[in-house]
Amino acid sequence: MAKGRELKGRIKSVENTRKITRTMEMVATSKMKRAQDRVHAARPYALVLREVISSVYSSDVADRFPLLRQPETVKRAAILLVTSNRGLAGGFNANLIKEARGLITRLEGAGTETELHVVGRKGLGYFKYIGREVKTSRTDITDKPTSADAASLSDVVMDDFAAGRLDAVYVVYAKFNSAMSTPPVSEQVLPVQPPSREGAEQGMQRDYLLYPSAEAILGELLPLYVRNTVYRALAESNAGEQGARRTAMKNATENASEMINGLRRTFNRARQAQITQEIAEIVGGAAGLQG
Amino acid sequence: MLKVSVISPEALLFEGEATSVVAPAFDGSLGILTGHAPMVTLLGNGELRLEGASSGGKRFTVDGGFLQVEDNNVRVVTEKATAL
Repeated sequence: MAKGRELKGRIKSVENTRKITRTMEMVATSKMKRAQDRVHAARPYALVLREVISSVYSSDVADRFPLLRQPETVKRAAILLVTSNRGLAGGFNANLIKEARGLITRLEGAGTETELHVVGRKGLGYFKYIGREVKTSRTDITDKPTSADAASLSDVVMDDFAAGRLDAVYVVYAKFNSAMSTPPVSEQVLPVQPPSREGAEQGMQRDYLLYPSAEAILGELLPLYVRNTVYRALAESNAGEQGARRTAMKNATENASEMINGLRRTFNRARQAQITQEIAEIVGGAAGLQG
Repeated sequence: MLKVSVISPEALLFEGEATSVVAPAFDGSLGILTGHAPMVTLLGNGELRLEGASSGGKRFTVDGGFLQVEDNNVRVVTEKATAL
């Protein structure tokens, strides 16, 4: 029963694989919940920040801030790509890399020099493989991104932008709409888009006492705003990664179950066929003796 | 009563009521009682005290950020805040 033993081995091995994928699915589910909470917890901060910026913003103070500088031609741009450190998350990293490449092609097509800052081992590995220069890379950002991580990432590009070495900064990350939908998006972080007029109409018609002055407050808040945008990108990407991994592992578990069913059926059929054959042989042998 | 929230990038650290707030503004301590005019001010570093907070007195150390007052709502927004 050589074939039977072989099948048994395969069933065993697929069962073991299923055990692993099922565990990974459960781990990703619980990690995703925590990451999701972090995304939600970050919301009030972003909301207040935006509101206060639009209430102190006015176009006459804007000219004095390097972070609000709107360059006419974009000569140099930076892309901050957020990927994960680990794989086995379906198309998660591939989608992010594709989005980043699309953005690079678009920018370079318009004659913009583009530099790349990569977060996560997966993105770094890809750009190393195709031989593209990566200006800075970070692989030390864990499952729990902190605002300090975001600050260290964004401060470099903010300085370059303020000094005029960069004219635009984009961040490419996975937007966390829900566990099922985490599309890659690119968002422009710098120059900071001044709050739209309508938004200002609603939020701004409030005469705040401003200490020490509108300029000082704006000067302090703009970097916070940029950092927060980067922090949000990290937090959402992390939640998205866990969501993508959960979906991928769920599919893998289902596929493994299906495969096991198929293999069991083949195994049983082979066993049945062997028994039938043995009976036929015995009957045949007995008939031979009688004859 | 004042409605107070202390917000950091990672989480909402406190949300509740207090009778008064003493905050470390950029140029020295700043006290806020009910009926304060709308105001936005930068913070320095030091201790933030929420007097008569729903769960007793609450204290935080803050470093930078800002404070917004509007209709008896006080929002303290800072990157670095730790509860004491």
